[in-house]
Amino acid sequence: MADDSRYYQVGQRPREVVLHPAGDEPLRRHRVPFTRRHLVKWRSRANPKSLRHERRLSDKRPLWWVLGLGALLIATPFLSNSMITIAAIFCMFAAINVLWTLVIGTAGIFSLATLAIVGIGGYAAAGLNVWIALPWPLMFVVGGLAGLIVGGFLALPSTRLDGLYYALLTMGFAEICRVFVVQLKVLGPTNGSINSVGSFIPRDWFLQRPGLLMGFGGAFILLLLSLLVFRIVNSERLGMRLQTAREEVGGEAFAEAVGIDYRQARLYVFLITSGCLGVIGAFYAMFYMSISPSIFSLDQLLLLFAMIVIGGLGRSEGAVIGTAIVVLIDKGMLELGPLRILLIAAIMLGVTLWTDNGIAGIRDQFRTYRNRKKSEARARRTEKGGEVMPEEAIEFTDKQEVYYRRFQKRLRDHLKTLITDDLIEQHRKAPLGKHSDALNRVLNYFRRGEMADKYAIMRQPDGFHKYKVVAFSGERGAPPRLVDDKTYEDINDAYHAVFLLRVNDLLES
Amino acid sequence: MDILGTLIHGLNLAAIYGLMAIGISILWSSIGMINMAHGATFAVSGYAAWLASSAMKPVIAAAFGKTLMAKFAMAGVTVGAGVTAGAMFGAIIYLLAFLPIHDKPNYPVRSLIVTLAINLATVQLLLWYFGPRSRGLPKLFGFGKFEVLGIPIRYDQAGAIISTAVILGLVLLWLKVSRKGLEIRAMMQNPEGAVLSGISVRWTALPVTMLTGALAGLAAILLSQTIFVSPTSGALPLIKGLTIALLGGLGSVPGAVAGAVIIGFLEATVGALPFLGQRYVLFAQFLFIITVLIIRPRGLGGLLDETRE
Repeated sequence: MADDSRYYQVGQRPREVVLHPAGDEPLRRHRVPFTRRHLVKWRSRANPKSLRHERRLSDKRPLWWVLGLGALLIATPFLSNSMITIAAIFCMFAAINVLWTLVIGTAGIFSLATLAIVGIGGYAAAGLNVWIALPWPLMFVVGGLAGLIVGGFLALPSTRLDGLYYALLTMGFAEICRVFVVQLKVLGPTNGSINSVGSFIPRDWFLQRPGLLMGFGGAFILLLLSLLVFRIVNSERLGMRLQTAREEVGGEAFAEAVGIDYRQARLYVFLITSGCLGVIGAFYAMFYMSISPSIFSLDQLLLLFAMIVIGGLGRSEGAVIGTAIVVLIDKGMLELGPLRILLIAAIMLGVTLWTDNGIAGIRDQFRTYRNRKKSEARARRTEKGGEVMPEEAIEFTDKQEVYYRRFQKRLRDHLKTLITDDLIEQHRKAPLGKHSDALNRVLNYFRRGEMADKYAIMRQPDGFHKYKVVAFSGERGAPPRLVDDKTYEDINDAYHAVFLLRVNDLLES
Repeated sequence: MDILGTLIHGLNLAAIYGLMAIGISILWSSIGMINMAHGATFAVSGYAAWLASSAMKPVIAAAFGKTLMAKFAMAGVTVGAGVTAGAMFGAIIYLLAFLPIHDKPNYPVRSLIVTLAINLATVQLLLWYFGPRSRGLPKLFGFGKFEVLGIPIRYDQAGAIISTAVILGLVLLWLKVSRKGLEIRAMMQNPEGAVLSGISVRWTALPVTMLTGALAGLAAILLSQTIFVSPTSGALPLIKGLTIALLGGLGSVPGAVAGAVIIGFLEATVGALPFLGQRYVLFAQFLFIITVLIIRPRGLGGLLDETRE
């Protein structure tokens, strides 16, 4: 007979993309220049079933990043002017949020001064550009320096105060900045804003299509740079040191005990982030060619906070996804009016009520949920009835025992369904002789049983046709014990009594 | 500058901010929630009071005419509507921000985010439904002023100060002597210990949220004697209440009272100084609070932060 058996592919493993390189082909992995890091995480293994060498991508996130950002980059030039602006704003806010994630997630400092630092960087750069005619490339330097200085000033109390107190302090700082800028005499006529700032966009291209595309390009590069900063800070030495201190219970004490100066590490992260935020501030001023005190306002801050909350605190992809959602709703659906904020609030509410860590954490949450459901279902399937529970299976050296017990359990379950009043009546009429199929199966099971489960019929010394039923102890040397005092006059009655006892034992097992 | 007038003004502000701050402080220490929707409660109560008073105006005028009774009835309706609306909104906050998530990990941050979302949504809803125009509430205490020891005091100031003192006294007494108050204080001291001795977290949290909501409603009515009700009118009292609660040390009622008095006087003084004025009030307050927090990182009376883990 021709072998027409088919293999059914079960689960999701078969759908994973797996390379099958030749076994003698040398492994070529490209390293990022000047580092020992690889670009993507290829892992090799020998598949024990197919006996083939295979190589798979064990971390596919770089792939998704490239796809998502690549799609944005390719699609944007074909969009309308307003959509290009939205894309550019998205890139800029995403850059800010990625850096903010670094502060809140990696460093664990609950700072709300992010936009204040951006604003100060922007104001410093814009002011110097307007009043001492600083050329625009130097504005980035000025913004970064201003951010660094303000960050250093803000970082001082960050190790002393905890959580909410620091959040309040930084919120107050933003308010102080706003009032200070609005009260400045020089900016009085413009209500606190600096206008006609020099920019990398030529002046006569401003708000024209080429100018918008340039703005988008700049914002996109900014986003890439901030993601790079995130990668370098979060996953290299600084981030590794801070990861120890981030444990819920006693993390900080443990980090200190193993010699990690987590306070210093947090300070560094905060300073680096502040410098970068200052650079973004300078870009912000150039992008709009002006900067106004509204950047310090509480509403703007809350909107940004909504972005990182919706995406998921502490993850760069969360920051970017959340920014995309909120920017699309807030800037892309202008016709909805005040309903936009309502929609954002509703999303925020839903995300916080139903997810553990924002939208970026849904995948992990779903896997945890599925695993829990799986193990619940397994527990329901394996009721104990002589069968081996999964957690006991490791105690058996001979795994055949596990399967033998499972077989016995299923056999007993099946035999229990066979036992009916008719069957018992049939046995009562004729304990010996030809039986129906069902009775034969039951009797065969009884005959194959362990000695300890069995009974015997004992003839009484005081009469030839007097029988009693005894039960074997199953132990060598230990005599059988009497089951009850009942004496049977007929051997067939005794046979039937033993049968009933065994049936009873079977039904109780 | 009129020092005594400033004193009274400061006390008036202290009374109103104190109501907000104590609400926030009690909520934090008993159920571990930073209620960012306290401002929304404030605005909602103000609108409820306005709606009720304008709806009942003809009825009361028909029943009592222009007698003293009419004034009392009006005051009763306004205060009753405001306080009830505050308590109801507190219950809504309990349903959204406490009940579904109080046993999930990272509860303080989650509840903060949820209440923030409630605040955003409520303010937008009010803006949508009532429009940005601000409304005036009926003057509960009438116009005019009287003099005590040569200090002129406006009726609404005296009313606010006295009624706050009375209400706060009643609330603290209730916390002190009643069975529920005992449970709430147990929760404030040690939530886990309270649960172990058979106090239900859920049934203790509901009165707490409703009580603090009612306090915010009262604050809304008292403050609306001097300013108007508008959808965003809750933002400033929320920030002030939050800063005072933090200044006093979260969870400490005496600290909150002290903080309210200090901040109230600071606001009155800065507002009255000729070279500073109203625009620098928030600036000065934040500067002051930052200074205090750097010297005393847990606020004036803050000890509970350590025990509440």
